[in-house]
Amino acid sequence: MKLAVVGKGGSGKTTTSSVIARTLARNGTAVVALDCDSNPNLGISLGVGDEETERLVSMRQALDEGEEEHANNWDTLISRYGSDGPDGVRLAVVSRIDNPEPG
Amino acid sequence: MRLAFVGKGGAGKSAISGTFARQLARQDHKVLAIDSDPLPGLAYSLGLAIDRTPPIPDDAVIERKEGEEGPRWRLNPDVDPFEAVEKWSVEAPDGVRFLQFGKIMGDPKNLWRSQMAFRFIINKLPEGRWNVVGDLPGGTRQAFTGWGSWASTILIVVEPTAKSLLSGRRLARMADLDPENPKRVMVVASKVREPDDVEMIAKGTGLDVIASVPWDEDLAEAERRQLAPLDFAPASPAVRAVESLVERLSEERVA
Repeated sequence: MKLAVVGKGGSGKTTTSSVIARTLARNGTAVVALDCDSNPNLGISLGVGDEETERLVSMRQALDEGEEEHANNWDTLISRYGSDGPDGVRLAVVSRIDNPEPG
Repeated sequence: MRLAFVGKGGAGKSAISGTFARQLARQDHKVLAIDSDPLPGLAYSLGLAIDRTPPIPDDAVIERKEGEEGPRWRLNPDVDPFEAVEKWSVEAPDGVRFLQFGKIMGDPKNLWRSQMAFRFIINKLPEGRWNVVGDLPGGTRQAFTGWGSWASTILIVVEPTAKSLLSGRRLARMADLDPENPKRVMVVASKVREPDDVEMIAKGTGLDVIASVPWDEDLAEAERRQLAPLDFAPASPAVRAVESLVERLSEERVA
């Protein structure tokens, strides 16, 4: 299953996707949750917390700043840029991060 | 006054900025309300029907000719920004003028010229002729890519939720985006229900909270009915809170 959740801001996309991801995982499915939002906060709804969410965001940002190499395949991406959340959901931040240009 | 409302999606930016613009206009001040969200929002909160707001025509921007210098696209030299606002904005209740860029209603591939023209016109609008009240789309993309550069004051609308606080903290960096034109950045607390919500928002964003808009069923009902909060529930606590915000910022109005 490959499922994308879309909609207007504030309508509940992040909350909905996090509950779907964790419910699937609890039923024994291997689940990867991808945060494709340019203002990523899926980690908060999944329950990995503020700090871990921001850590994943800063890793993604390091790619944009050329400090890191892009993963060249799915497994590398999920292992290097992912984090284990509750119920075994693997979370990765994959969107390009909107970061204010320096100075 | 040049004021941009930003924040996480669903925080209440459109409802607050639309109500703010009309209340400011009721005090006999020239108000231009601008909407750069590709999805409709601010028009409803102002009390306008969407179909009354055509996009800016494509020929408002022109492409660089072969052999010419400079950026590939620019505002058509025949377009005067002030006249453009008079011409392509529509009138909303209370005399507010409303300008938006193209919405994703027709063919999306034709919208970007209208959107670019919108940005050129706002950025070149002379100081001191309009009080400009802007509603940016939710999230950080436009905010961090120069779509709020016309504003001198940024109001981040923040709900007492972890996700909204996180977005608020990220958006706080707008203050330093353009070192030559530093911006004043403050927070409007939104959907406040509990006594310690405002303190939580102040702490969570590290910014001053200039106004606190309470959770208000009337506001939710106005959204449900596609009515402007100011028309549906003029005496509701949320509308009153926005009125106080207008007062707080009123010394900066353009008469």
